[in-house]
Amino acid sequence: MKPTLILVGADKGGVGKTTISRALLDYFARKNILTRAFDTENPRGSLRRFYPNLAEVVDLGNVAHQMRILDTMESANVPVTVVDLKAGNLSYALDLFERIGVLDAARNGMFNMGLMHVVGPSIASLDEIGEIAKYLQGVQYVVGRNSINETNFFEWDEVTHRKYFSAIPKAQEINIPKLNEMAYEQVDVAGVTFKDFIENKAADGSQGKFSFVLRGYVKKWCSEIDDEFHRVQMLQDIVSGGRSPNLA
Amino acid sequence: MANLPTVYITASDQHRNGKTLLARLLADYLMLDGRDPFVIDTDAPEGPLRNFFPGRTALADFAVMQGQMKVFDTILGSPGRDYVIDLPARHMEGFFKAAEELDFFEETRRAGFRVILFFVVDHSVHSLKSARSHEHIKAVDLFVPVINEFVGSHWPLREGALVIPLLPQALAFAIGERRFSLRNFVLGDPQGLDESDQRSLSNFMYNVLDAFGNLEPLMTIKQLR
Repeated sequence: MKPTLILVGADKGGVGKTTISRALLDYFARKNILTRAFDTENPRGSLRRFYPNLAEVVDLGNVAHQMRILDTMESANVPVTVVDLKAGNLSYALDLFERIGVLDAARNGMFNMGLMHVVGPSIASLDEIGEIAKYLQGVQYVVGRNSINETNFFEWDEVTHRKYFSAIPKAQEINIPKLNEMAYEQVDVAGVTFKDFIENKAADGSQGKFSFVLRGYVKKWCSEIDDEFHRVQMLQDIVSGGRSPNLA
Repeated sequence: MANLPTVYITASDQHRNGKTLLARLLADYLMLDGRDPFVIDTDAPEGPLRNFFPGRTALADFAVMQGQMKVFDTILGSPGRDYVIDLPARHMEGFFKAAEELDFFEETRRAGFRVILFFVVDHSVHSLKSARSHEHIKAVDLFVPVINEFVGSHWPLREGALVIPLLPQALAFAIGERRFSLRNFVLGDPQGLDESDQRSLSNFMYNVLDAFGNLEPLMTIKQLR
């Protein structure tokens, strides 16, 4: 099966990009699918804090780092590569990938490519969609509306919304549901994956001391995310190993 | 009553029908039986049970997350003993919803607990309906309908219910005093009651304690089925 490159990005900070990257990696882990992860928030890398053994911090402007992500797509024998683009880096990254031929490679079928665009509730977020539309041919485009902090998408009136979406073929929309703040905080403080938190495993692999109640809320939240991810064709293709679920 | 550590829940969809008296009788019964129950009163900040069982009662407000953590995490954090949870009417639905969402009963089972649900059914139709809808919760090992003679009930008598007998009003008031211990009364301390009240309360207590004692064989029969 062809490998898949998933970019997770936003042109604005604080919309929950890393949370969605974590949710994606977690989802694949629960489905027993191997992943690679790159964090472009050089040099710190908040994704790396949760996935110290998985996530690698890279600088997209550095050619050697570009090679680390792209040249190994096929040889790594890992079906999914997730790249968490740092805030404000989305247009830059797409432009770069266009120039160095990554998008063309995806269009020519060398690998599958998806963009998970995480947006906030403002009109500015919708403007971002307009700006990047030109890159999206051959890319599975998913808009992730993040409600994890109970964001209210009041500015998204129907007409404006449609105007942006109609420009993009095959766009899909998902909602990242709200997670109880206390539960969210505790997972963050523990610095573990959602999956390990649910299973009461501490960062060092020992038995955790996490609250049963909070674990339950995280578990419920993950199952709600699963329902959302189930609607995304690109993710279902990966999970079903390229087979159509109807034939499986 | 139960040889295995047990979570006892006293609940009702209605207010003021003897649910807290039931929880109190239950905790006293368990202590008389040589067990070591811990009481969780989810009606914080009120918490009348703490007055009767100081030192072995936790107050929790189930309406907030910290309260839910206090209830569920306390029980699962220290398994191996009995717990009595007094659920006020306003938290009952929330409690069962949270328990289901969080798989609480599944987890209690894994921790070695049994779950017994006491439901006070009073004389309203709503109460009967609510009792029926809680009768067959899968994870509950035993559902015990409770009739409080003081308030009356629509529960059909032939279907077997635990009955809290009627007490003379002055006596009911006297045992409601925070210093009055039902357990010490059974152990021989009249705590100032006159002889007639002592006789009434003795009858009352032996009826109730007997009813609690009969639940264990009931449970065994249910399991055999």
